[in-house]
Amino acid sequence: MRLVAITGFLTALVLFAVVEWAARRENSRIPTFGDVCAYVMRYEVGPVPVGRIAVIGFWWWMGWHFFAR
Amino acid sequence: MDQQPELSADVPRAWDRPVFSVPILAFLSLIGGQLPSFSTAANLYSIGLGGALAWVGLSPRFPRRAVPQRLTAGAGWWLVPVLIFGVFEAATFLLGSRDDFPTFSKLADPLLEGSLVRSAAYFAWLWAFWGLVRR
Repeated sequence: MRLVAITGFLTALVLFAVVEWAARRENSRIPTFGDVCAYVMRYEVGPVPVGRIAVIGFWWWMGWHFFAR
Repeated sequence: MDQQPELSADVPRAWDRPVFSVPILAFLSLIGGQLPSFSTAANLYSIGLGGALAWVGLSPRFPRRAVPQRLTAGAGWWLVPVLIFGVFEAATFLLGSRDDFPTFSKLADPLLEGSLVRSAAYFAWLWAFWGLVRR
C-alpha cells in the first residue's frame, strides 16, 4: 500500500511537470499553472478578493505545515 | 475620475528581477533550512516570512503582472494532476496517514530533515510564493 501511495503522488508530480512543460511550448492552448492561479486569484465577492486570499492563504499554510509542523 | 484599484505591469522593476530576488530568496531559504520542525523559531520564521509575503500579495500598492481575462479550454488538463494528487491525499488522510499508506507530508517529512533538502524546498516555497504575490 505504501508503494501505491508513493506511485500515486509521484505520478501526480510528474504530470504537473508535464502539463507545465506542454503549457510553455510555443502557441500552446494550455495556460501555465501561474496563469491558472492568477485567474483564480481574480475572483472577488464584492470588494473582498476572495480568490487572492484563498490562494495566498493556502500557500502560506503549506509552508508552515511543511517547515514548522 | 475612477481610481485604478491596483497596478499591473509586465515590465519587471529592478527589485523584481531574478538577479535581485533569487539571492534574497536563497539567503532566506538557507536560514529557514536550518530551523528544525516543531521549534518555536521555525514557527515564527515561516509565519513571519509568509505573513510578509501575504501582506505584499494582498496590498494593492505593489505592482502586479497582467492577468489572463479568461482561460482557454486547455486549462482542463490541469485537473488531471490536481485530481490524482487530491484523490491520493484524501484517501491517505481519511485512512489515518499510516506508515503503510502515508499522506504526502508524512512521506516528505524524512526528506525534509536534512538541511540541504530543507533549504531547497524552502526556496521552492518562497519562489512560488514570490511568483504568486506578483500575479
